[in-house]
Amino acid sequence: MNNTAAEREQLFISLYKNVFPAVARHVSKMGGTFDDAKDIFQDALVVWYEKSTDRSVNNDKAYLMGITKKLWLKKYQENNRLIPMDGFDRELEEESEPSESRILNFLQTAGKKCMDLLRSFYYDELPLNDIAETFGFSGVRSATVQKYKCLEKVRETVKEKALTYEDFVD
Amino acid sequence: MRTSLIETEQVEAHLLGLSEPGDALVFEATLLLNPELKDKMYWQQKAYTIVRQYGRQQLKQEIETVHQQLFGRSEHAGFRQKIMRLFAKK
Repeated sequence: MNNTAAEREQLFISLYKNVFPAVARHVSKMGGTFDDAKDIFQDALVVWYEKSTDRSVNNDKAYLMGITKKLWLKKYQENNRLIPMDGFDRELEEESEPSESRILNFLQTAGKKCMDLLRSFYYDELPLNDIAETFGFSGVRSATVQKYKCLEKVRETVKEKALTYEDFVD
Repeated sequence: MRTSLIETEQVEAHLLGLSEPGDALVFEATLLLNPELKDKMYWQQKAYTIVRQYGRQQLKQEIETVHQQLFGRSEHAGFRQKIMRLFAKK
């Protein structure tokens, strides 16, 4: 289970303890610093979290190591463009437009409750039952209704703000 | 659910590719006739992008907090030393 912030914290602590020593050893052997190891491992955790459906510690050490090694290669050879990448690392580099960050900042303060609920649905992709329970809804139905209400609120905010911060519109 | 929420749900099904083929056709026809719906769809797509960015940002913060704990608190000193030895000058 990694549905709540506390559960995710335990998950990341386990992953750090299980996998980070091997990552650090690899990066150190290749001439990198502690901060290199940290950056690469944290990016690898994000990739792993977004790609894996079953987020458990046990099966994923090899997968995480694989991502780490690719990210390391990329970091040190990106100027040469020698390594064909399969795309996952490019996604991490999506820079958001300045107006997007402004909208995000606004929503973080003005609509955090909704953003946290929507995050569970669309980013964490948690099962409906778990979301209902975590957020204290009486059931899946009312969690779903609240999700759409929040989505409408965010959609209207994005629209309203984007028309003020003009570079957001394609 | 109120009408606007049902519409939002339909837009979602369409954007996330969850509609049945028949429903998708009806929806596309409605889109042609209803510019407001098209506008809704456009902004809803942007909303999903923002939510994903929010999710990633929060996750990164959670990971950084774990890092600070492991490398800052005395109960994890053994782990920290084990890592730091790897980067000690040879």
